Amino acid sequence: MNRPAGSPRRARLDLLDPLEVSKLGGIEVVTEGVVEGFLSGLHRSPRRGFSVEFAEHRMYQPGDELRYVDWKILGRNDRLYVKQFEEETNLRAMVVCDVSRSMAWTGSPDTVLPKLAYAQRLIAALALVLLRQRDATGLIIFDDEVRAVVPPRARMSHWRQLLHTLAELEAGAGTAAEPALRRVVDQLRRRGLVVFVSDLLLDRALALKALRFLRHRGHQVLVLHIMDPGEVTLGGPAEARFEDPETRAAVVLRPRDWAGAYRETVRSVVGEWRLACRRHGIKYHRVTTDTPFGMVLREALAPASRPG
Amino acid sequence: MIGFLHPWVLLGLAAASIPVLLHLLARREPPTVVFPAVRYLITTTREHQRRLKLQNLLLLLLRTLLVVALVLAAAGPTMPLRGVAGHAASAMVLIVDNSPSSGVVVSGTARLAQLQAAGRAVLKRATPDDALWLISADGIPRRGDPVTLADQVSRLSVSPRRLDLGEALRLAREVLASESRPGEIVLLSDLQASAVSPAEVSTPLLVGRITASPPPNTGIGRLELGPQPWSSDGGRIAVALVGDSGPPLPLSASIGNRPARQALIRVGGIASLNLPAVPSGWWAVTVQLDPDELRMDDRRVGVVRVAPVARVTWNPQDRFIAAACQVLEANRRLARGDEITLGRLGRVGSVVMPPADPAELGALNRALAARGIPWSFGALVVTPGATDSNSIVGRTRVLRRYQLRSTASGRTGVLVTAAGSPWLVRSGGVLLLGSRLEPTWTELPVSAGFMPFIDVLLNRLARGELTIANAAPGDVIDLPDLVTTVRQGEREWQVEGGGKFRPSDLGEYYLLAGRDTVGALSVNPDPRESLLAPASESEIRRLWKGAQVVDLTEVGGFAFSSGSRGDLRGALLWSALVLGLLELGMASGWRRAQ
Repeated sequence: MNRPAGSPRRARLDLLDPLEVSKLGGIEVVTEGVVEGFLSGLHRSPRRGFSVEFAEHRMYQPGDELRYVDWKILGRNDRLYVKQFEEETNLRAMVVCDVSRSMAWTGSPDTVLPKLAYAQRLIAALALVLLRQRDATGLIIFDDEVRAVVPPRARMSHWRQLLHTLAELEAGAGTAAEPALRRVVDQLRRRGLVVFVSDLLLDRALALKALRFLRHRGHQVLVLHIMDPGEVTLGGPAEARFEDPETRAAVVLRPRDWAGAYRETVRSVVGEWRLACRRHGIKYHRVTTDTPFGMVLREALAPASRPG
Repeated sequence: MIGFLHPWVLLGLAAASIPVLLHLLARREPPTVVFPAVRYLITTTREHQRRLKLQNLLLLLLRTLLVVALVLAAAGPTMPLRGVAGHAASAMVLIVDNSPSSGVVVSGTARLAQLQAAGRAVLKRATPDDALWLISADGIPRRGDPVTLADQVSRLSVSPRRLDLGEALRLAREVLASESRPGEIVLLSDLQASAVSPAEVSTPLLVGRITASPPPNTGIGRLELGPQPWSSDGGRIAVALVGDSGPPLPLSASIGNRPARQALIRVGGIASLNLPAVPSGWWAVTVQLDPDELRMDDRRVGVVRVAPVARVTWNPQDRFIAAACQVLEANRRLARGDEITLGRLGRVGSVVMPPADPAELGALNRALAARGIPWSFGALVVTPGATDSNSIVGRTRVLRRYQLRSTASGRTGVLVTAAGSPWLVRSGGVLLLGSRLEPTWTELPVSAGFMPFIDVLLNRLARGELTIANAAPGDVIDLPDLVTTVRQGEREWQVEGGGKFRPSDLGEYYLLAGRDTVGALSVNPDPRESLLAPASESEIRRLWKGAQVVDLTEVGGFAFSSGSRGDLRGALLWSALVLGLLELGMASGWRRAQ
């Protein structure tokens, strides 16, 4: 495996500009570098508290693993008890990734990664972190329908499969998030973590309905709202016909005249998403594609995002 | 009403459409930009469309108004404004009526001095940007700066020429017609009723009038010298006065340097005086009154020709001619002799009529040609016509006439025309008449003017004299053919016969053909100048619509305020500045808010 040039470990790839990082190598290499940097930068291990919390004892039953037998009680009382933990298994996480046509867009091809490329690298890094924690991680890809489903696995080798799936991603057509989110239920029988990565240019009511459903099923839900800086601040020629790549809806206006109002609209939309998510216990992060991956990982993997 | 100094600049108002055109042009075929968040844009425009449209409309309006304000300012708009300290660049014609009546002396001061003071007060308010003209009684518009014109006003003297105020206003209006600046006419006058005539005044007119009543005045209105030439026995003159009636006034009349004759005369009456015999020649006759407040009309001159009466041969068969000659002979206006042959071509002076028998016409023409006369009789014209107005015969109906053809270049020697064609011509001492002096040819023999016509024909025209005319200063006189010089005292003007002459001074003028005196011109003041009664203010307003009549002493304060106009350029430029700042503030403010 080739290491990215310029000693990525020391360079803290997780804090560099995503476009610069992406130029250092393939997804795998870059992601490893990002994750290494991210983990080494943490003051405390993200493993702490991971499914090792003791809950109670119960009588041993045939078939129980001997490693959970509490030998101290056996020695004192001569009875077989096994230790019961809060989570008997590692975390199961499903990443749901939007690959609609709008995700392939970047406002500044020379300076900013397309949203989809950014999402690929972010998901790969996130998956690597999770897998290193022995958390099972799966992936669902969708545009106007579900394109691919990778069931959650906890093996490190599973990361290669995820990478392979991510690497083959191509922008699709429209966006239909609800079916993809509902497919999560099939993959996460128990409570787990659902990471929804999308530019959220979709039917918000339906998407929220599906996200609420996941919350209702006990899943922790994290929404990563991917936005290009060009979507946050309106720019362009003096007057232009702006056309939606998915719906072909168009509007003609002078960006200079509308920039302020547009900024307000974006702020309002983001605020509405944040409010709606908070109302239903969904964690929401707006991520612009010029944000270093490490900062996003830190937000996404903060303790509050643990299922609870 | 708003006027403009440079109205052609208003074409620039088309530039006001530039913001709109730019707006429309900029709207055409904008580039397409792929943008995923169109739904946000749609939401944005839906919520802000009305406000932004209003803003854009307001900005468009401000920019258009800004262009309009700048163009209007460049065009130099002005409008009537009173009470403003300054005035816009204006065009003003100052008319100072220095006609003879302005020479009236009241309380030791000539009225002209009051007019001059008022004129200087008006010009004092003028600025170098104003276009100024001065018109006085000579009727010549003189352009100049305020200082120059004020100097000219100060140097004005009482002119012998009458000034028709209506004509002066028309002239002023023509002067201002070519001016783009707002115009104004200021008339300073004693407003004699006899000088006020109707005029259409479209330009603001400020009239400064002398309000004090004029003093009573009497002048010599007419001097008649009777038929000329006078015989060596002397002559008789008739004098009439004009002006305010009063007691009889002493009048003296003299010819040359002979002792004056005296008479008492009152206004409305006629004084007849016999003047003593003088030798043959041209003599000036002078009549005068004792001086009063207006001196110019107290004296009048005339010119008489003193010579023996013509000695004439006429054909007794020509009934009307014979009758006329007998009467003139009885009145000692002619004598029998061979100096002039009347009716046919004689040896010396002749008055030649066409022969009764057309068969004799060829022989007559040959005889004329043999005498070197460059005129001959042509075809018979039986179309009735009339003589054109002239001092010799007046307007008389002509029923038949022969065309008078000139065999030389030009038409030298034409004295009277009928229907535009020569009817009475002269070459040397020979006169050719186009019609026979019979009622079947012309109505002249049976008219009252026949006797004077025969008298003039024989005593003056056939003897080489041309004219003795009366005129007022400034009148245009048609000089007879052959006149080469006009002389007044020591002054001489070289002229061309048939041209125009405009005497400017009072007195007698002599018309010379080479070294011979062939006529005279008596130039006296117009008798209407003796009538000093002013026109009423209502009459002035009736004749000159819209005129503002003020006291002469106040006219300076009203000048450039009644007709002059406030300059709107400053206000427009300030408006443009405010509009520009508003546009800048609103555009940048909104942009910043966005």
